[in-house]
Amino acid sequence: MSTVKNWQLGREMAYPYDARYPERQFAFVFNINRCIACQSCTMACKSTWTFNKGQEHMWWANVETKPYGGYPQWWDVRILEKLEEANPGGQVWGGTPADARFGPYGTFEGQTVFEAAARTLSPDSARVLGYLPTDEEWNSPNIYEDNPIGKRGVRNAIDQTGEQLPVHNTWFFYLARICNHCSYPACLAACPRQAIYKRPEDGIVLIDQAECRGYRKCVEACPYKKTMYRGNTRTSEKCIACYPRVEGTDPETGGEPMETRCMAACIGQIRMQGLVQMAEDGTWAEDRYNPLYYLVHVAKVALPLYPQFGTQPNGYYIPPRWVARPYLRQMFGPGVDRAIENYISPSRELLAVLQLFRRSNRIIFRYQIEEGPKIYEGSLHGRKVELYNDTVIAFGKNGRELFRTTVEEPVYVRPNVHANSI
Amino acid sequence: MPYADPEPDDPQELVGVEWPGDESVTREMAESFADEFAQLGLPRAEILALYRQPEYSGAHRAWRLLGDDEIARIVDESLAVFGRFTWVVTDSADDEPEPQPLRLYRRGS
Ligand code: SF4
Ligand code: SF4
Repeated sequence: MSTVKNWQLGREMAYPYDARYPERQFAFVFNINRCIACQSCTMACKSTWTFNKGQEHMWWANVETKPYGGYPQWWDVRILEKLEEANPGGQVWGGTPADARFGPYGTFEGQTVFEAAARTLSPDSARVLGYLPTDEEWNSPNIYEDNPIGKRGVRNAIDQTGEQLPVHNTWFFYLARICNHCSYPACLAACPRQAIYKRPEDGIVLIDQAECRGYRKCVEACPYKKTMYRGNTRTSEKCIACYPRVEGTDPETGGEPMETRCMAACIGQIRMQGLVQMAEDGTWAEDRYNPLYYLVHVAKVALPLYPQFGTQPNGYYIPPRWVARPYLRQMFGPGVDRAIENYISPSRELLAVLQLFRRSNRIIFRYQIEEGPKIYEGSLHGRKVELYNDTVIAFGKNGRELFRTTVEEPVYVRPNVHANSI
Repeated sequence: MPYADPEPDDPQELVGVEWPGDESVTREMAESFADEFAQLGLPRAEILALYRQPEYSGAHRAWRLLGDDEIARIVDESLAVFGRFTWVVTDSADDEPEPQPLRLYRRGS
């Protein structure tokens, strides 16, 4: 095993290969507070990439209801349990969240999927702690989740109360997921044929279909369960980050890098995807006015999903503000309290950057804010709130302006017939 | 949502535990949805419909627990801040590049 630096864990860790970083990295931020589980993202992906025979069970993009839902069922509970068995009582964070780009959430003192494997698995070829989900676990995305359907035998009508089982009395939320195009991919680490590679230009992780022999080591290893086996081709497949769009080679893009299908389809406007610049040590290079860099490293409202697994995932989430904190800390690490605090009392800049979500399908490389006058000051749910008419301008790859947003008070024009009435 | 009653010996059967929470959690959830959808520019009737109809279960659950009056009050509070403005998005004039003709690639060519 080599030793690599994992900035999310604030320490070095063991990984089967030497560190290599792409020039830019595919990354995204999902604002969970807004997701309505409409599954438009899921279907956008399905209808683009996985509608063929043998792919019926495949949902490269999925949305599951937490805490009880999962695709495959119980994926996170099962891997958390395995790590706990490998290192009982030791899966904890130390230190305190800080401002640094390396170790912003403190230091993870437990074991990653790579480290736990080195201690507990034999033979040596077993490089990653994981498990193979059963067919049943793959086959039923969203089973028992809160999808209202009609009463049996009654057509074209939705059940009026919408649920029978299970009713969560207090909280739940929707977790949208795709492959995290990890910096230290567990799928890649586990492949005995080296059929999985990470592209140097954008960090997208792909399975070479000509090399894959369907050993399913990647399926077993990915802690997020985002590689899937296809029976009729006897190969594994995974999210390809809609790379023709990201490259700007899809005819629809007109040569400009464009966000993936699942991002573009998002009804709740929760998603933003981009390409961040990487530094030589594997951290994100400082790029103050890249919106993703701002959300992750400056405002610190967006956090990686289960960073303790150790793959340095590149999907980030603004955590749902109403959910029990111990649960969120387990899922997103110790940065949760700061993230929610910053989100519910947003700074002027954060409010402006949140306006960039889903205003364009092109990838935003930089934003700029032109400050305007204060237009509102008051309180909201007991907290102070100030709004400004700032103009936020988004720029694309070549520095071209994509769009700008401003705030306007609605103007009511009195119809002619009433023009002079009081 | 299953049609049949729970079958304990079905391996697919959900084994659920309830996570404790209190009214303040429900309220925070209801306020969160109101703030988000008011910022997205939805009018009052549409935001209220999200709570009243069962399809959006989180909001609907909060509506059932807190009642219609309280949800309306929360929505009005969010709209008092975010409902007074409209976010205006202006696309840059040259934002839409010319679509390229579709080219097909043949493997090995
Ligand atoms: S999420 Fe899984 S499949 Fe995707 S890169 Fe990471 S380890 Fe590989
Ligand atoms: S399209 Fe957006 S709002 Fe709808 S389920 Fe997907 S992430 Fe959630």
